[in-house]
Amino acid sequence: MKLPKIENIGFIAAATAAIALFFYFILGFSGMLSILGIILLFIVPTYLLLDNFKLGQDEKIVFAFFIGAGVFPILAYWLGFFISFRAAIAVSFIALTASAFVLRKYKNTS
Amino acid sequence: MKINKNYAKASIFIAVYLFAIYIWTLPFQDANVPYGEWDAISHWELADFIAQRDQTFSTLPKFLDYSYGNDNQFKPHTLWYHPPFHVDMAIISAFANDRMIPIFLTNAIFASSILISVFFVINRLFGFLPGILSAFMLIFSMRDILPYLWGQWPERFAYAFIPLILYCFYMYFTNYSNENRNPAYLYIMAILLGANLYIHPLVMFHSIIGIFVLVIILAIKQRKFPLNLKHIGISFFIFLIMAAVFPLQTGNVILSFAKSSTDEDKKYAPISTLLRLGPDPDNFVGSVPRMYFSFEKMIGYWGFLDENTINEVNTDSNLFKKIKVNFTNLIFISFLLGIIVTLYRRGANDLFLLAWLISFYLIMHRDIIGISTFLHRSFSAAAHIIIPIAVIGALQIYTILKIPEKLKQTLKYISAAAIIILTLKFNMPTAYATLDNAYDSPLLRINGAQVEASEWLKANIDENANVSVIGPFPDIMQKAWWMASYSHRTSFFFEGFILWPSPGENANETAKYHILNDYVLFDYTDIGLLSGRSLVDKWLNFEKLNMENHKLLYNKDNIRVYKYEAS
Repeated sequence: MKLPKIENIGFIAAATAAIALFFYFILGFSGMLSILGIILLFIVPTYLLLDNFKLGQDEKIVFAFFIGAGVFPILAYWLGFFISFRAAIAVSFIALTASAFVLRKYKNTS
Repeated sequence: MKINKNYAKASIFIAVYLFAIYIWTLPFQDANVPYGEWDAISHWELADFIAQRDQTFSTLPKFLDYSYGNDNQFKPHTLWYHPPFHVDMAIISAFANDRMIPIFLTNAIFASSILISVFFVINRLFGFLPGILSAFMLIFSMRDILPYLWGQWPERFAYAFIPLILYCFYMYFTNYSNENRNPAYLYIMAILLGANLYIHPLVMFHSIIGIFVLVIILAIKQRKFPLNLKHIGISFFIFLIMAAVFPLQTGNVILSFAKSSTDEDKKYAPISTLLRLGPDPDNFVGSVPRMYFSFEKMIGYWGFLDENTINEVNTDSNLFKKIKVNFTNLIFISFLLGIIVTLYRRGANDLFLLAWLISFYLIMHRDIIGISTFLHRSFSAAAHIIIPIAVIGALQIYTILKIPEKLKQTLKYISAAAIIILTLKFNMPTAYATLDNAYDSPLLRINGAQVEASEWLKANIDENANVSVIGPFPDIMQKAWWMASYSHRTSFFFEGFILWPSPGENANETAKYHILNDYVLFDYTDIGLLSGRSLVDKWLNFEKLNMENHKLLYNKDNIRVYKYEAS
């Protein structure tokens, strides 16, 4: 399976590390985990989904954050009635990320 | 070494945004306990309850139902907000395994995300310098900071969607042609609009008015209308699906909107109010302070007049006074220049900005047709459009002057430097002090002993049990609410039996009847901070007289909890 190519991955990794460090210094470990959670759960899966469309990288990042904050909790909320909320978060993350790969595969074959 | 220009720009934005986050998180950097007014309590407890219970819910638990049981008009006793905003905070709270920092930090990031969306849109349409300076000035917008501190959390985040929704529509409209029929932007717009409904329905209506104005202005400008029924139909369907995902809450929005539109509730504002941008402060006495309606106090004053003269001016001041203050304010002058520049050039990007401004004006004057609910809340979005226009006015007024290109560039950079210096000198001190000193009083934030007692209640008493907090004086009432929230238990206030004269001689008897079978909490941790000593004595006597024969369950750090049963 071909992984999606994220542009400027080096810069993004360096920026994420700097951001995580910044939050660690102002709010401690909990602050750092929080920001990593926001990036990992709200931005990454939606970014991968949007990566299938013709959009600029800044557009993908910004839209991913706002759409992620609106869409990710839909899955987590409804799943949270049937399984533990923490498990619902994990399943939502996996489902959204997997759907990004499925969409990529579908777009590549069609 | 050659530095990649895009990396440099991205790094500058990240630095500005982190600076904003540093300032906006000042209220909880060194005090790791929740704070805020009634609204903040409701938002925090909704998120915290999900994370702590490790399960989502629709029917309200007792401690929430006590205060919010009728807030969902479509189906009472169920969640009245669309869940995503609070579930987002719950997700981060569960992920970071902490009750305080993750919820307040997620809120700070959401509330300050207007910087991200304004930077993104202005950078895309007008270039990096106007974008970054707009975001920089917005850090210190008091009309954003105050509602953020008061607890209007979802509303702050929802406003950040407006520029993005308008941008998506703008991109679809301006790029649409026979060759290019890429509907992605329109579909993204529909998803953002759906998310906007989840976060705050009032703001979604603001977004819709914005799209409406933008359609008209762009259609006139471009003499075309990309009426692709398939694209519009799919977008509408996406939005409909998103609205239907949470039927109880969408039903509540529809019912609330229908109720606010009934004739009996309507109050029509006089036509003369069209001459001013903001609402009349007199209509909001007791709700928000008068200074909230002042351009100078909220967005900024870069001029030479003294503080007293500026303080006298408000949206309802007479015209002469307003002119005197407005026209000595460089921000206001830049704002006017921005309008002149955009009107003169009338490029598609200029029209985007004007459409956004017009839609804000229309929203602020909906009371003309009798819809005045939450008008002051809509006013909190003023800086989001005024600041970018002011920055564009200051930086780009030279583009319409017939002067050498080199001089234009020099003047642009001088203006940019001036914006940074004046923002730091005039806007930053107030914003910094407000955030740094927010809820600093020990009377406003629960202390360690209260946190511990609340956690004990949460762990040791039944979820449906009632906790009666005896004697919270008015100045520490907020703490009783926060303790109820922190313990996830109903807190029925009993200050009346100590402070109110009405129960008279039978005060103790009345109290006994009301607290029967309750867990009764006496909290003396703040006793040294209270001024009314006679009330303190009454408080102590109440415990002595009434609790003697009841089981003491918790006794730590001047907090005692009894189980009050019939003896």
